[in-house]
Amino acid sequence: MTDRYEIDLSVRPGDDLQDEEMAETPQVAIKRKGRGFQSGDQRGDGVNSSSFDKLNTVDESTHGKALKSIEGWIVLITGVHEEATEEDIQDKFGEFGEVKNVHLNLDRRTGYVKGYALVEYANYSEAEDAISNMNGAKLLDQTLTCDFAFVKPTSVHDDRGRRGFTSRSRGGHNGRRQGRSSSPSRR
Amino acid sequence: MPAQEEFYVRYYSGHQGRYGHEFIEFEFHADGRCRYANNSNYRNDSLIKKEMTVSPLMIKELKRIIADSEVMKEDDHKWPKKNVVGKQELEIRFGNEHVSFETAKIGSLVDVQGSEDPEGLRVFYYLVQDLKCLVFSLITLHWKIKPI
Repeated sequence: MTDRYEIDLSVRPGDDLQDEEMAETPQVAIKRKGRGFQSGDQRGDGVNSSSFDKLNTVDESTHGKALKSIEGWIVLITGVHEEATEEDIQDKFGEFGEVKNVHLNLDRRTGYVKGYALVEYANYSEAEDAISNMNGAKLLDQTLTCDFAFVKPTSVHDDRGRRGFTSRSRGGHNGRRQGRSSSPSRR
Repeated sequence: MPAQEEFYVRYYSGHQGRYGHEFIEFEFHADGRCRYANNSNYRNDSLIKKEMTVSPLMIKELKRIIADSEVMKEDDHKWPKKNVVGKQELEIRFGNEHVSFETAKIGSLVDVQGSEDPEGLRVFYYLVQDLKCLVFSLITLHWKIKPI
């Protein structure tokens, strides 16, 4: 397949939340491809709108960087062997506390394990134990990497949100929408 | 590789119809912010908007999934165009490469096989399913109270 990238040098430093990095390397050539760049569609009701629900980051639901989910602490495991089973995960991770939930998602094409698992513990200490003991451990000859899946917000985003990168590349005045356009009415 | 290279993923699937603008959209930023929006006015369903922050390990795994799919090598110019049934968008910024693909909704692999670029569209089709699967797991585990 031949690539039809368009080279665009019009990266404007100071244009985005990735300002700091962009400012250091303002002359990056970005290769763009796809019909989405031509499409003039602008939506204000999706990820660029405001008032998203967030879980509270009050003291009892955070620990270090980690953030508690609604019913417990979620641990992400990567490097999971494609033939691993839910029982393998339960066995290994049940040592540190009761595993309340396991998501071992499959590759939709191959039907084998995609490579990651998400497990839930009721208590922070159990999750922390699992991470410190299992990070770097082996399962079916593959090395696992473990950490919390959810963390406290790392930076302050404009709550009005912004259009990914696409709208700016179309040459709008800035990436941010000028106020909100009307969402479809609901009742 | 810098600690936080340029990275952004956004997927949208939706249409305008009898129940208004019905869509699902989600995005991930390099710093871990993940937003999910889902709207249907069917039976007065309300707009669902969720925001969460995932850890650097989650972003790393997401990058692996995208890199392994090799979707950045594809091109949407032969894919079916959006139509009355609706459209899908997949926007990915990965380092210095930036794709913004737009195509029709795909019902099943039959649509993929019958298209002009079945190999490319298949990559898109499976990646989208894998991404949705990940996002639904994240939403479920972070937000949903398990029924007793």
